[in-house]
Amino acid sequence: MTDLIQYLFNGLVAGSIFAIAAVGISLVYSVLRLVNFAAGDFLTLGAFITYYFSVTLELNFVLSILISMLAGMGISWFLELVLWRKLRRNKAGTLALFLVATGVALMLRPVIQYLFGTQVRKFNVDILKTYDFFGARIAHTQLIVLIFATASIITIALFMAKARIGKDMRAYANNPSLAAVSGINVDRVVVATWLISGALGSLAGVFQGLVQGQFNNAMGESLLLSFFAAVVLGTIGDAYGALLGGLLLGLFMELSQLGIFFGGVPSNYKPVVAFAALVLVLLFKPEGIFGYRARKV
Amino acid sequence: MSVFLQPGFWVFVLALAGIYGIFSLGLQIQYGVGGVMNFGHVGMMAISGYTIAVLVIKYQWSFWWAAFIGVALAALLGALLGLTTLRLSGDYFAIASIAFAEITRYWILNSDSVTGGTQGTLAIPSESGFSSYTTEPDVILTWIQDRLYPLIGDEASRDLAMVLVVWPFLFLFIWISSRLQQTSWARVLRATREDDDVPRSLGKNVFRFRLQTLIIGSVFGGIAGIFWALQFMLLAPEDFLRIVTFYGWMILILAGATRVKGLIFASIFFGFLYGATRFLDFWPLSLLSSPERAYLRVFLIGLVIVLLMLKRPQGFFGKREEMVLE
Repeated sequence: MTDLIQYLFNGLVAGSIFAIAAVGISLVYSVLRLVNFAAGDFLTLGAFITYYFSVTLELNFVLSILISMLAGMGISWFLELVLWRKLRRNKAGTLALFLVATGVALMLRPVIQYLFGTQVRKFNVDILKTYDFFGARIAHTQLIVLIFATASIITIALFMAKARIGKDMRAYANNPSLAAVSGINVDRVVVATWLISGALGSLAGVFQGLVQGQFNNAMGESLLLSFFAAVVLGTIGDAYGALLGGLLLGLFMELSQLGIFFGGVPSNYKPVVAFAALVLVLLFKPEGIFGYRARKV
Repeated sequence: MSVFLQPGFWVFVLALAGIYGIFSLGLQIQYGVGGVMNFGHVGMMAISGYTIAVLVIKYQWSFWWAAFIGVALAALLGALLGLTTLRLSGDYFAIASIAFAEITRYWILNSDSVTGGTQGTLAIPSESGFSSYTTEPDVILTWIQDRLYPLIGDEASRDLAMVLVVWPFLFLFIWISSRLQQTSWARVLRATREDDDVPRSLGKNVFRFRLQTLIIGSVFGGIAGIFWALQFMLLAPEDFLRIVTFYGWMILILAGATRVKGLIFASIFFGFLYGATRFLDFWPLSLLSSPERAYLRVFLIGLVIVLLMLKRPQGFFGKREEMVLE
């Protein structure tokens, strides 16, 4: 029982981070038809920028997070201006977009490494403080992350449902040409999508760094496929689906370690659970949990 | 600058070019002919390389049988990947193929008793100690080296022998691949790349054709893995990260999706990029430490991919309409 509570809680924390990262990837896919392979490295970048401002420059932690989110937005915007816009004008195909996104990831990674080094980093927070909850050990950082991640998820969901630009995004994702003729400013929608994706990437990176306790420059990259799994699980291109897909995947990955599932998956195979979930969903329900069969995949 | 002038550097570049040329040829058949976007190609290389290492070192198999099994397993992995996920459309399949390669790598990483885990094949003990390879292929390499020694003296390196073994294979495979592209089989596949429905209406089983290209490409990936293992002799899980697949893709898009001859130049360019970031030490490269130079390599490969897709998506040797599909 204690195990169950522990894994359930860990799963919720991991899942809420997956949800934030996955919704960014899903938005970019729905608006731009682009599978963002660089998303993982934006997480790493966010964590390192926050580290730089909060630990090296000893700035306020929350302020540092905000700066890193702004940086993520800035870089995403810059890439839109110099890369993605041109590729759209050239009518680049799936493969071209895939390869460019990977190319961006390959370029970001060494830059992060060059700027911040390869050492393992830690935020200036007490990672050892834990609470006892019905026998389960809950870290202080986990609790903080869960609260703020939940608040972020609710904000994102409200934004998509209520804000003008959020509605425009969904309209554009549904039918780009119809949205364009009904007066939606396409460039504004695209830029907004990148800004949101950049900000969420940094935020998820900080949360992940907090929960892990320590991180290095491979953090985001190693999580990328898990994010894809969350996106596919929640129907690729569906923002609300991605939120739920992330939560479900986080829970599933943690709970798979419980004894009742095939005697428990060893924890070093945890990423494999995500990859396997990805392949299985693609096999049996490629349209995701919210998708319709009719949608051609 | 002196490294540039040393033949040893260029021999290494050529050896690498040969291996990755064969690797990339697999991708070229899959994408250029069948339109299959395989982003998990490194998995095929990993599985054959590890098969040969484990069978030969741990179980003292003959090199040739181990190589055969390695390539067969790579083909099997390709078949498994295709049978399960090839019905998905392009981007879904690409993601699934990465997941397949990553599952393979995680299995290698976590099966210490079979593969040596994080320690790589170093940790697989053999009768003659750690990390020793079978002597059988070395017999061939040494034989070539001995014949060359009277002619060119100390330049008769193991790398040179490797070049003389790999490049004939590369040319053979390029020839086979270009013959394949002239068959009616490839014509059907090219038609499926443009439009699924027309060949389907003519009674062609599109799925089966694509599966065949995937398996043939995987065989090339597997063969590249065998040569990889021969060249580097030690294998570790981090040699088979996702990025290796993109080495192959970089060669492919540099060459153009269906240009078989461009592949030779593109592989040599890749070999040069790889070798240069490893060995060259004049300014400004001398400012970087060797791990930093490894990162410079990753950066440059990313840059080449991005610039090519922006400026010349058809590659240096390709036709525009072949790359801008979909």
